[in-house]
Amino acid sequence: MEDWTGALNLEVEDRKGKTVAKKVYFQGAFKVMRPIYHDDSGHACYYLLNPGGGYLDGDRYQMKLSLLEKAKLTLTTQSATKVYKTPNNFAYQEAEISLQPGSYLEYLPDPLIAYQNAKYKQKNIIRMDKTATFLYADIVTPGWSPDGERFSYQTVQILNEVYVDNELVVYDHIKLNPASQNMNGLGFMEGFSHLGSMLVVGKQTNSSLLDQLYSAIDMNSDEYKLGLSILSVPGLTIRVLANTTQVIEKLFSEIHRVISQEWFNSEPSFLRKY
Amino acid sequence: MDIVMKHNILSLFQLCDSNFPTGAFSHSYGLESYIQENKVHNQETFSEWLQVYLNEQLIYSDGLACHLVYQALEEDNLQKVWKLDRLLTVQNLPRETREGTQRMGERMLNLVESLYDAPIFSTYRNRIGTKQSFGHPAIVFTMIAQYINVSKAETTLFYLYSVVSSLVQNAVRAIPLGQTAGQKIIHQIQGDLATATLKIEQLDEEDFGIVSPGLEMSQMMHERINIRIFMS
Repeated sequence: MEDWTGALNLEVEDRKGKTVAKKVYFQGAFKVMRPIYHDDSGHACYYLLNPGGGYLDGDRYQMKLSLLEKAKLTLTTQSATKVYKTPNNFAYQEAEISLQPGSYLEYLPDPLIAYQNAKYKQKNIIRMDKTATFLYADIVTPGWSPDGERFSYQTVQILNEVYVDNELVVYDHIKLNPASQNMNGLGFMEGFSHLGSMLVVGKQTNSSLLDQLYSAIDMNSDEYKLGLSILSVPGLTIRVLANTTQVIEKLFSEIHRVISQEWFNSEPSFLRKY
Repeated sequence: MDIVMKHNILSLFQLCDSNFPTGAFSHSYGLESYIQENKVHNQETFSEWLQVYLNEQLIYSDGLACHLVYQALEEDNLQKVWKLDRLLTVQNLPRETREGTQRMGERMLNLVESLYDAPIFSTYRNRIGTKQSFGHPAIVFTMIAQYINVSKAETTLFYLYSVVSSLVQNAVRAIPLGQTAGQKIIHQIQGDLATATLKIEQLDEEDFGIVSPGLEMSQMMHERINIRIFMS
């Protein structure tokens, strides 16, 4: 058994229309609270906690999440994930997610804040049935640094691998490396500091959804840049560059709202965090 | 120099020639978005874009694929080749560049099948026909190079050159730049292509598909730009 700073194993199932935990196990600096049901749809919401308060040198976190048939789950965090300086080894987090037929997962963690001299690597591996639906968003933000430098972290690397019916269909690999790249130059962050990524994989995706999203979003704003494109399987990917977390969150919640409306004729729940 | 041996390299020159009809002249890989925003407008700004495209995207995708496919072919490990074909396709998130390279790969494959009598080309084409594979020019290029005994490093270097020289031709038309400016850029970047080839040899599979956000964004945004002379 590998030595994890924090580990979480969560398996949920649909029990008469309500999604409940079949197995919950956590140890070290990873914890989940009891599920919250925002409405009577049976859709469960779990909040992930990092009691340690932040990721430090060489920390390693592992999450295994499994949604059995028709389970519906939102997984979010209670607050931002903070990565502090890692003088020797990068902090690492991996998630293995399994989505069985008809299940629906929204994985919407709060932003990642990478502070001065932080090195962080994250890998999400999603194995899903073609009738399952996956919705994911992440935001990478630079933390405050004493000398006011805009990008004081060293590296942030995020890899998302999605397999549908055992075939690799998405390989989304971003590595920001301010230690050796000119982040303000052409082709990197285009003058912005925050990067948001959203990934949606679900058989309901079609070109009319894309048109609806384009009409819901102002593509000519100076506050952000947004790109979106459909995947080689039904699904889409969205990237946003902006200067604040709020701008990206607002765009993502609008996109989330359009998708929920279109696919489930419902409104997403407001994820209250105190 | 053994002129009989070296004539193999001419076969690779043929593939790098911008007259070789793969369709590369209709793809800008997001450059056109920067031209429309007026961020790329002259020799200097285009060179900056080309350097970033080479070092922050091309080496981790096509370049690393050349290197790994060549190794797999040497080991007769075709499963690995097909895996890389899929990786190359699914790491390419912007639809236009993904579908564009697929079409180029298929077109190139059909052409080389009429030039070379190696079974691997029909195997690859059959896999594409039955949707088991996607098709990619870097893979077709490497298959030919390995087949005609060009070394691994030269294969990667020549492939990078072929991509860069088509991009310069496209920039000359689109920005526009003078023909002399275009040739100066191709001349100046040759050392960087050699450096990039060395860097690719140091990479491993964990580095595959890394892309910088701005480049990818420009490729996604290209889908919605109004006036366009390129398909990506």
